[in-house]
Amino acid sequence: MDYLYDGTFEGLLTCIHHHYYTAKATGIYTKESYQMNLLGDFLEVETDEAKASIVYDAMEEKISHFAVRCMYKTFLSNVADKEMKILRFAVMGFRTGPKFTYMHGNDIVIAIETAVRQVGNEAERMRQFVRFSQMDGGVLYGEIEPEHDVLELLPSHFCDRFKNEPFIIRDVGRNKAIVALKGQWYITDFGEGDMPDYSTDEVGYRRLWKKYFDHIAIKERINPRCQAGHVPLKYRKHLVEFQLQTDDFERTI
Amino acid sequence: MEQIMKKLEILAESAKYDVSCSSSGVKRQNNGTIGSTTAAGICHTWAADGRCISLLKVLFTNNCAYNCEYCVNRRDNDFPRASFEPEELAKLTYEFYRRNYIEGLFISSAVEVSPDYTAERILKAIRILRYDYQFAGYIHAKIIPGVSQEILHEIGLVADRLSVNIEMPNSESLNKFAPQKKPKQIFTPMKQITNTLIERGALVGPGTMFKGQNVNVAGNLVGLQAIKGSRDLTVPIRRKRDGKDFAPAGQTTQMIIGAGGESDASILTTSENLYRTFKMKRVYYSAYVPVVKSPILPDLKSAPPLQREHRMYQADWLLRFYGFTTSELFKNKDENLDPDMDPKVAWAIKNLDRFPIEINRASYMELMRIPGVGDTSAKRILRARKLAPVGYDDLKKMGVVMKRAKYFLTCCGKYYGDRKFLPETIRNAMLGMENGLQMSMFDTHQNLLTAASQVQLFDNNWKRLEQGAALEKLSIAGVI
Repeated sequence: MDYLYDGTFEGLLTCIHHHYYTAKATGIYTKESYQMNLLGDFLEVETDEAKASIVYDAMEEKISHFAVRCMYKTFLSNVADKEMKILRFAVMGFRTGPKFTYMHGNDIVIAIETAVRQVGNEAERMRQFVRFSQMDGGVLYGEIEPEHDVLELLPSHFCDRFKNEPFIIRDVGRNKAIVALKGQWYITDFGEGDMPDYSTDEVGYRRLWKKYFDHIAIKERINPRCQAGHVPLKYRKHLVEFQLQTDDFERTI
Repeated sequence: MEQIMKKLEILAESAKYDVSCSSSGVKRQNNGTIGSTTAAGICHTWAADGRCISLLKVLFTNNCAYNCEYCVNRRDNDFPRASFEPEELAKLTYEFYRRNYIEGLFISSAVEVSPDYTAERILKAIRILRYDYQFAGYIHAKIIPGVSQEILHEIGLVADRLSVNIEMPNSESLNKFAPQKKPKQIFTPMKQITNTLIERGALVGPGTMFKGQNVNVAGNLVGLQAIKGSRDLTVPIRRKRDGKDFAPAGQTTQMIIGAGGESDASILTTSENLYRTFKMKRVYYSAYVPVVKSPILPDLKSAPPLQREHRMYQADWLLRFYGFTTSELFKNKDENLDPDMDPKVAWAIKNLDRFPIEINRASYMELMRIPGVGDTSAKRILRARKLAPVGYDDLKKMGVVMKRAKYFLTCCGKYYGDRKFLPETIRNAMLGMENGLQMSMFDTHQNLLTAASQVQLFDNNWKRLEQGAALEKLSIAGVI
């Protein structure tokens, strides 16, 4: 039977509960993405906190904390059919116990490992590539556009680093943002209209950085392919140093 | 702002030949008002030459009193000159850091007036950054050869990483190319850094070279014969505790590749000595880019030896992480690495008696010796085989590079390399040679060869072709 859930992690855990106690799941989809199927049967799973926490505690106890983390990171990814991958992983974990994550040759484990790696890598890339701008009132503001939903993996790093400064990291594609101050942070909806104004010396520092970036490269060793391997084109939109002309700074500001 | 822009342009231009840009080796939470460091470091962007930008890498000044032959900042070079003010540089670093452009500062300098004068200016700048701005990010300071002990010590208490550039792999070429620098001037600060780290019980050492050993023992102190004679050398040094860290990310150095006529063997031997004696974190290599006209240096039009630099780094990794020694890599009196293949593959082909290795029995260090297997895949194999034997298909899924590895391993006793287990056949397979004719013959290097040597090369390949055909016949006939 196909399951439809509301797109939250608790909803997915409820699905796992239903898989064991109602009917076996053949596919798990969010309500929006589901293509109605004439032949197949489907069940709209109502997210149930109690059932979700039963599944969560059971996984922590019978599988491992590490495996639960892997499942959550996979949930943050946008790999195809991630819900079923998580379900199969959980089922296998309940059956074989904590050491099953060592089975690096098993397809179910590999599917999760791959997703975890992708999410981890992109989170690392975002830590590298967030470019903050100085806003009026002392706020640091940065925009990112990640493929996977890695926003919530970023604040632990930046909250320590900027423990005295308020900062906002906005996920442009998902229209949400982290708002943080003095080590505390929360995620909120954030649209175009919520942006503060840029401070006056921002353009100057962007120009300086661009100048530095252009002059640090050794002309005799120019290697665009190597560069593109490290800074994929899709991330360059929000990187100050990859804007073609310095006039762009004024236009965006 | 305009003035800073001009200075930044000139001083970045002068600093770009310094290789090291890593922000790794020390994990520290924010103990100031801004900043932190991570153990692995963070690269923030990559320049057009594909090299990462992690730190703001600038010279404090490029106004140099020295006249080193290979250096862009040499006294005789007609070139725009500039100097930062300490406050200016600290502010610039701070503002870049807040915007997440960089992980910290890499500060080097030309020798203005004298080594001590320059070092004091550097010290002033990084003190402003560390104490006035309460900056807890990464600082890498370059130590100018010939600097006094006291100033070096003070710089070490502020910076995370120190480096002294050795530049040339042996004293003859140093004498030839940088006559104002003396080997003693270079090794004295290196010694001081290592000994200070040992005294504080903070020496870590390169990669996994000294894993599982305590390197902070009396026997590792460099050049102090009197102490060595009078104590048990394996007893850990009693720590000096003053609550301050001295260069917690250790020290590094840099060598130029391809300026003098040194062989790969002599360069790597020097590296290994630096790793074993000074327990440096890294030795960096930089392919010489001809920037100044000189009768004793490569021609201005010659390309930097990037391929050679790449092979040096591969070999360097073998030394630091894979338990290799230089003498193993240069066994049969070879002077240079094989330019056509990875040094690990080249070593494996020369030492076929140690292969094939059985994946399900080998130790970690043995697995690491197989070409195509690295740290990650070796650890995966170790974990996976606790549950079930690892098969050939599993290896591929675990990230082992099968096109290299398959010739050197067995899975549950079966050998999967579809060729004869002979050095020559495996070598040919690796190079993608068809019937012994080498593909790299059509490489761009070809252009540099004279007509005569082309004929020679063709002859050699032709011989190989004949040999290959002969071998194939023999193997079809079942003789080999």
